[in-house]
Amino acid sequence: METADLTHHISRRFNEDLERVRSKVLSMGGFVEQQIQKAITALTEGDSALGESVALGDHQVNNMEVTIDEECSRILATRAPAAGDLRVIVAIIKTITDLERMGDEGEKIGYIASRLATMERPVDKYREIKHLGRIVTEMVHDSLDAFARMDAESALRIARQDRLVDEEYEAIQRQSITFMMEDPRAIRRALDVMWVVRSLERIGDHAKNISEYVIYMVYGKDVRHTSLDDVERELRREPAPEIESQGGAAS
Amino acid sequence: MRTAAQAWWFAAARLIVAVLIGLILGALLHSPWAGVACALAAYLAWQLIVLARVDWWLHHRSVSEPPETGGVWGRVISQIVRLHRRKRFHKERFVQLMRQLRLSTAALPNGVVILDAQREIVWFNRMAGRLLGLRPSVDLGLRIENLLREPQFTRYLAKGDFANPVVIRRSSPKESYLSLQLVPYGEGEQLLLATDVSRQMRLEAVRRDFVANASHELRSPLTVISGYLETLSHDPALDAELGSPVAEMRRQAQRMTAIIHDLLELSRLEETDERVGGEPLEMAALMALLRKDVLARPAHPQEVRVRIDSEAALVGKESEIHSALANLVDNAAKYTPPEGSVEMRWWVDAEGGHFAVSDTGIGIPPEHIPRLTERFYRVDPGRSRATGGSGLGLAIVKHVLQRHGAELEVQSTPGQGSTFTCHFPPERVRIADEALLNG
Repeated sequence: METADLTHHISRRFNEDLERVRSKVLSMGGFVEQQIQKAITALTEGDSALGESVALGDHQVNNMEVTIDEECSRILATRAPAAGDLRVIVAIIKTITDLERMGDEGEKIGYIASRLATMERPVDKYREIKHLGRIVTEMVHDSLDAFARMDAESALRIARQDRLVDEEYEAIQRQSITFMMEDPRAIRRALDVMWVVRSLERIGDHAKNISEYVIYMVYGKDVRHTSLDDVERELRREPAPEIESQGGAAS
Repeated sequence: MRTAAQAWWFAAARLIVAVLIGLILGALLHSPWAGVACALAAYLAWQLIVLARVDWWLHHRSVSEPPETGGVWGRVISQIVRLHRRKRFHKERFVQLMRQLRLSTAALPNGVVILDAQREIVWFNRMAGRLLGLRPSVDLGLRIENLLREPQFTRYLAKGDFANPVVIRRSSPKESYLSLQLVPYGEGEQLLLATDVSRQMRLEAVRRDFVANASHELRSPLTVISGYLETLSHDPALDAELGSPVAEMRRQAQRMTAIIHDLLELSRLEETDERVGGEPLEMAALMALLRKDVLARPAHPQEVRVRIDSEAALVGKESEIHSALANLVDNAAKYTPPEGSVEMRWWVDAEGGHFAVSDTGIGIPPEHIPRLTERFYRVDPGRSRATGGSGLGLAIVKHVLQRHGAELEVQSTPGQGSTFTCHFPPERVRIADEALLNG
C-alpha cells in the first residue's frame, strides 16, 4: 500500500531532521491538547488557578511555533526537499499555525474560566460545554494521531466530524439566547459562555484543517474548500497516489 | 541396514561387475572397449535415474515417501530424512516456545511495548494497545513519542532518567491515569511498561479530600473552644485551682490549631505535584525576617547568625518558600539550648543555590534521618510533643522543595548539632541584575 510506503519512507529513509521536526510538531500538539483540556476543566470545575496557569502557559506554545518554523525554514533552505518531502514540510508549517491558534483559543478559555470561577456557577454546571469540549478535544487528539500515522482515512473522518461541532455550536447559541431572554441578569455570564463555545468551535475548525493537511501530505491533494464527499469520491477512485509527481502539490 | 563401508564396497563391486560384463560381452563381439563404454553408459544412466528420483522426492518430500533405492543412495536418503526430522523437531520446539512467550506477554495485565534505539515501536502486547490506543500492525515503526504526546511523557523522555515511572493523564480512548516506565535493555532497545493507575489515583484523591475536609471541619469547633478558653483564662472569677488546667488546655488547643493548619497546608501542597513557577525572592530580606522570627520566640538560642555569600535571588513561590525555610529555622531554634547558636547560610555554585541551617543543638541519631520527613514521625516522642510541634513541619518542607525541584539534605551528629541543607537547581537561581541593584 502506498500510504504505508510513505510512512515507511519518512520514518526510515528520509533524513533524521524531518523526523525530528515531525516529533516536535506532535509534542507541541500534545501540549496544546493538554492546554485545551485544562482550560475546559478550569471552566467546568470553577478552578481559577488552573485557568490562569493555562493562560500563562500560552507563551510556551508560541515559543514552540517559532522554533519549529525556524527549523522548517532551515530544512527548506539547506535540503531543498521535493515532492512528498516538500509536502510534509509545507503541511508542518501550516499545522503549527493552526496549533498556535488553538493555543490562543485555549488561552482565551483559560482567562474566561478564571474570571467565571468567582461567579456563581449555573445549575447545569456547564454540561453542554463539557459535551462540546469532549468532542473537540477528541477531534484534536485524533487529528494529531492521523498526523503521526499519516492516516488519511481517519483524517477524512475527523474532517467530517466538524459538522457535528457546528451543530452543537448552533444548539448552545440558541439555548444561550433563551437564557438571556428569560433572565437579563444572566446576560453577562451567557456572553462569556458564548465566547468559550465560539473558541471551542474555532478549535474544531483548526483540528479539521490539520486533518486536511494530513490528506494533502499523503495524497498530494489540496482538499480545502472542497466538499468532503467529492474528496472521498476522488480518493476512492484513485487509491494509489503517485508520490513523485503530483502537479499543484504546493498550491 | 548395511554399514557404510559395506555399502560402498557393494557399490564398487557392482561397478566392477558391470565393467567386467561389458568387457566380456565386448570381447565376444571383438570390441572390448565399446563393451566397457556401453556398460559405463548404462551404469551412469541408472545412477542418473536414481538421482532424478531423489531430486523429485526432495522437492515433494512433504507429500511423498522416499524412493526405495537401497545401496549408497538409500544411505544418503536416510541421512537426509534424519536431518530433516531433527530440524523439524527443533523448529517445532522453538515455535512452541515462541508461542508460549508471546501468549504470556500478551496476557500480561500490564502494557508492554518494545522500542528500538530510535524509540520506534517494534512490538506491543494487547494490553498496551488498549491502554495506549495503539493499533496493531499499523503503528509498528512509528515513534512512541509521536503517539504518546502528553507533555509529562515528553519531559520524561527528554530528561532521560528512567529510574521511576511517570504518571500521565489520558482522555482517549478513555479517561485514565497511566503509569509509564522505560526500561533500557540490549543495545539501545527499550521496553515501555504501562500500567493503569486510575484506581490508585482516585483513592489517593479521596484520601486527600478526606484529610482536607476533616481538617477543615475540625477547625471551626476548635476556634470556639479556643475562644472560650481564652475568655476563661482571663476571667478573674476563675477558681485559682483551675488556673493551670485551663492554661494547659489553651496550650493544647493552640497545638491542635497548629496541626490542623499544617494538615491543610500539606493537603494544599499535595493537590498538584506540578512544578510551581514563582518570582525572584531576595534571600537577604527573607533571611532577616526568619532571624527576627527566631529572636521573637520566648526562649531562643543567644546567637542567630545570617551569612549571605551570594546576591543571587531564588525563584520560587514566596509563601511556600517562606513556610519551608521558616520550618527549618524554627526546628533548629527549638532543639538548640539558649547558650547554643543557629546559623543560616545562602550560597550559589555551579550546581545551583543552597540554603543551609546549622545548629549546635541536640542532633539526630543517624537511624532516624531517612524517616524525618514522614508525617508525624518523632525522633523522641516525649520531647517533641513538649516543644509543641505539629510533626508535619518537615513533611511540608519536603513537599515545597519537591515542587521547586529541590532536595533536602540532612547531616547530624548527636550531641553536637545538625545541618539541614536545601539544594535548589540552577534554573531556580536568578543572578542579581546589576542595573537593578545600582538603580
